[in-house]
Amino acid sequence: MDDTLIAILRSGTPLIYVTLAGVLAQRAGIWHLGLEGLMIIGACAAVVGTVQSGSVLVGLGIGIVLCVLASALLWFVIEKLRANPIIAGLGLTGLGLGGTDLAVQAIYGSQASVNAPFGMPRLGDAFGQYGVLSILVLFMPLAVASVWVLTRRTRWGLQLAACGEHPFAARSVGVNPARMRLAALCLGGVFCAIGGAELSMGSLQIFAYGMTAGRGFMAFAAVIFGAAHPVGATGASLFFAIVGALGIRAQLLFGERVPHDLLLALPYIATVIGVWISGKLRGGAKAAATFGELRDY
Amino acid sequence: MTSSSAPALACRDITVNFGDVTALSDVSVGFTEGLIHAVVGQNGAGKTTFARVAAGIVRPDSGAVEIEGQNVPLGNVGRARAAGIELVHQSFALPPSFTVAEAMEYGAEGGRSIYARGAMERRWTRHLEMLGVQVGPRERVRDLPVETQQAVEIARALVTDARILILDEPTAVLSPAGIDNLFARLKVMQENGVTIILILHKIREVLAVADTVTVLRGGKLVEGPIATDATDAAQLSASIIGTNVAGDISETDREALVGAAEESDTVEPIAAETEDTLAILDIRNVTTRQDAEGPALDKVALRVGRGEIVGVAGVEGNGQRTLVRALSHLADIVSGSIELSGTDVTRTPLSNRRANGLRVIPFERNSEGLSLSSALWENWAARTLLLGGSLKLINPAQLKKTCVDTLSRWGVRFSSPNQPAGSLSGGNAQKLILAREIDDDATLIIAAQPTRGLDVGATAFVWRALREARARGCGILLISSDLDELFDISDRIVVMLSGRINGEFSRPFHLADIGTAMTGAGR
Amino acid sequence: MIGYLTQVVRALAFVFIALLLCSIIFEFAGFSAPLMFQSIAEGAFMSARAWQNSLRWGLPLFLTALGVVISFRCGFFNIGAQGQFYMGAIAATFVVDGLNGQPAFIVVPLTFAAGILGGAVWAAWPGILRVRSGTDEVITTLMGNFIAGLLLIYVTSGPLKDPSGTGQAASSRPVGEMYRISAGNSLSPTIIVICVLVGVAMWVLVNRTSFGVLSSLAGRNPIMIVWQGAKLSRLGLVGFVIGGGLAGLAGTIEVLGPIGRLSSGMLPTHGFTAILIALVANLSVMATAFVAVFFGGLAAAGLYLPVLAGLPAAAIDIINAAIALFITARTWPKRLAGLLRVRQETS
Repeated sequence: MDDTLIAILRSGTPLIYVTLAGVLAQRAGIWHLGLEGLMIIGACAAVVGTVQSGSVLVGLGIGIVLCVLASALLWFVIEKLRANPIIAGLGLTGLGLGGTDLAVQAIYGSQASVNAPFGMPRLGDAFGQYGVLSILVLFMPLAVASVWVLTRRTRWGLQLAACGEHPFAARSVGVNPARMRLAALCLGGVFCAIGGAELSMGSLQIFAYGMTAGRGFMAFAAVIFGAAHPVGATGASLFFAIVGALGIRAQLLFGERVPHDLLLALPYIATVIGVWISGKLRGGAKAAATFGELRDY
Repeated sequence: MTSSSAPALACRDITVNFGDVTALSDVSVGFTEGLIHAVVGQNGAGKTTFARVAAGIVRPDSGAVEIEGQNVPLGNVGRARAAGIELVHQSFALPPSFTVAEAMEYGAEGGRSIYARGAMERRWTRHLEMLGVQVGPRERVRDLPVETQQAVEIARALVTDARILILDEPTAVLSPAGIDNLFARLKVMQENGVTIILILHKIREVLAVADTVTVLRGGKLVEGPIATDATDAAQLSASIIGTNVAGDISETDREALVGAAEESDTVEPIAAETEDTLAILDIRNVTTRQDAEGPALDKVALRVGRGEIVGVAGVEGNGQRTLVRALSHLADIVSGSIELSGTDVTRTPLSNRRANGLRVIPFERNSEGLSLSSALWENWAARTLLLGGSLKLINPAQLKKTCVDTLSRWGVRFSSPNQPAGSLSGGNAQKLILAREIDDDATLIIAAQPTRGLDVGATAFVWRALREARARGCGILLISSDLDELFDISDRIVVMLSGRINGEFSRPFHLADIGTAMTGAGR
Repeated sequence: MIGYLTQVVRALAFVFIALLLCSIIFEFAGFSAPLMFQSIAEGAFMSARAWQNSLRWGLPLFLTALGVVISFRCGFFNIGAQGQFYMGAIAATFVVDGLNGQPAFIVVPLTFAAGILGGAVWAAWPGILRVRSGTDEVITTLMGNFIAGLLLIYVTSGPLKDPSGTGQAASSRPVGEMYRISAGNSLSPTIIVICVLVGVAMWVLVNRTSFGVLSSLAGRNPIMIVWQGAKLSRLGLVGFVIGGGLAGLAGTIEVLGPIGRLSSGMLPTHGFTAILIALVANLSVMATAFVAVFFGGLAAAGLYLPVLAGLPAAAIDIINAAIALFITARTWPKRLAGLLRVRQETS
């Protein structure tokens, strides 16, 4: 049981951090499909930064700076150039995947992965079996709580929601939606960097090309599933993590009888079902036909 | 009056251009403190732009805004609010999913940065009670009836210490009784020292409430502010409409356009037969399933005969949209039946109803009526293309040619059939819809708010088109929240309230009777 | 005409900005940007052989991109071209592998039918979820890509595994010689003819039928077309399924043609590139043909770079991604944008 819980926390924590970034963006009215790219930038920067500097903190710091910069670039493209957020987000994801590949090749020549000498600090023996988890797992509930307070219990959070739901309403009380979106995206960038670092340094201490494997997209799906509510979206990403962990357990139980690759597909299938159910619950048949374009009024 | 020499709000030489359209040119006007001021003009006169410049939402290309003699930075809502200006928008600007308390809180100043839900709700409940607004702090904005929504919006505007309150067309959505309530509420605020600027377009209302009146036309200041005692309906009407209106407009139309008439007692000549002939539309006790888009219809019975315009009055949100959706097969009908020219179409899809002569001019010109980013000819051809099969080969060149001919006949001003529909002005866009929906095969035309947002000339054009269609024998169902419009061109008026028909009236119409029916006092 | 010209200029301008961003990234990573672009040009267009390669990669991309064009025009944000491409290839391989030994005139048409069907089915379920329950197709098609990718790994290492396979990537048995529609990893007249026929058919569908006009209206404003009495679900779904079928066709061509087998992880960026092509071409069928050849050139250069120029192939991914970032931009920053925004509000 403990093993399963550890597995869930391991795979769930990076997902939840990235989901929080998606929640902030979604509340500001942005369909954030660049999460995947930001996450892999964070993962890569954490490992490469740690290897090069010998300090995890520096690695994490570099990741945060790069993710915030990339978020600002995305903001510029969708806000100032009025590009379609979905396509631009996919572009950012591509830049993250290609850019990390290029960076690794530039630094280490043509090798598939980079190993870090050590990972995130662990919780330690005080937590018993759970001591193998990284401290970022401990911070995760804190992060969820702060985002909840920020979005649901502050005036800023209300203004952010107004920007997403009715930008004209936000502007008529003197709130600048463009600036709010920048803030939401950049803060999200920080969370993506942390999520990426947890993915690459939390238990594995390795960076491999494309290691996010769609987790950023899954986080986006969790945001939709959880109706952009921080707690709801966190629950949705935990659900995806549980499905993934159960898949691995099933693998151990059934061995070769169930194909490994199909079990790996379980979280993706769960995502589809989750989004389908949440669409149904919200009245159905009225999906956004605007392709996620930013609204001005 | 006040002894202060500087006006509460003064605008100097305000000019606003949107691209190549001039919305306001060199408007200078000052409003004295502590009075109720009216700004009137037809649609497109620049009233809304004027209000938005004063509130800092639109940044003018040139000019200055002064409050009590102090310059206010232009195009900065925050600074304008800090200086004491608040604006209540025409179509309300509150996020629909917010609770009432949240809608107060998000625009407030001061207080703690992190709030507890209970304390926040108590704070705003007190605020709402003080203003006499009866609404629970946890109710969602989207669930509120229009009149409450407006009251909440006004309360929202007063969360800070506003000294100048601008209301953009506040009466457009209200029943006559609701208008009286609003005016009473404004008078109380005036007594508390708030300067009120009302954007209006009905002379009747101006004379009822305002101390001064300012007239805008075509983005220019025509006159004002002048004391309402010093003017009268005829003079204002002349200032508002001006002299350069295309086509001739009859005296009754004129009065209807500026909202000067008290009631309509001139009997519009009705195209004779209504009783004995077959009804074009016969709605029998239709009840619809409740959905998210408005109140359900509750045993609605309604008949439209040949050559008859039946007006549907009512405060917005009382089932008018559901009625149009039910007629367009876009709402679920639980019981009852709909007959078009004697054929039962209750379960018939819209395409077949359209083939039977049903035409719909929907409420929302820019979303339901047109695809703004598509070409004119595509918008125009949609109806006829849908009559044939999807894989039918077409000849775009031929279609465009027919489109150009038709649109020219309807007086649409355009340069190419390939230009996007969104590049047309409101009046021309509506003419494009009319050109599509009023054809020779039309037998029943549903016209939902066909003149909303149009200037005097375009409004008169739409009325003429509807009257011509009536003369050809079409039945017309006209849904409007403008009673003057309904009084002017309807042969009969039914009033909707909470999804039911709450009264039916024939000429002559009396404002008082219909107003009572709109608020629920019964027949 | 002016309209078309400005569109072309606009697209080129943003592609240029994207390349500028790429140069910064290249230089930042320690590669010479001019050298990089020169090598890419060499690999894509600087010789007859390069042109052949560009066409070889460009034509399947053209088909998939056409599918994206059709579904985008219908208002479906089909991000799932990759999955539909895979499912087409998988379905085709099952048929050609299962019927091995039967006469070619039976097997080849059946394989094509299966491939198209495979892609169409993989497009149909997100489409049905969308029109029936309002499930957002962006997420479902995206997840569909991952599921199809895993399915591809599964079939190439399971049911369709080539027992004699020695390569690092698992793959199916090679398609029998008599069923191949091109010799070796290259182009053939058959493929060109298929692409031309499909291209013409789609051009007619989009520009010369009621479906073309109505689906474009539906794509731009579904509400308006519903008020005109259209059956949105049918109109959109048909387009979406056609789109999936075209991606499936591209997958079939790769299996029967240049690649000649199904291999796990084949052409992992095919679908994404196809979306780009459709967007750069501004959803015009004619323009898609030209843009596809350009991106085919980039794909060819992606193979050329590491082998002949000693540069990382990731450069091509970065160029594609940067173009994606900018290509949908609708305006220039600052004043102009502000002006447009105010206008929208007040109208």
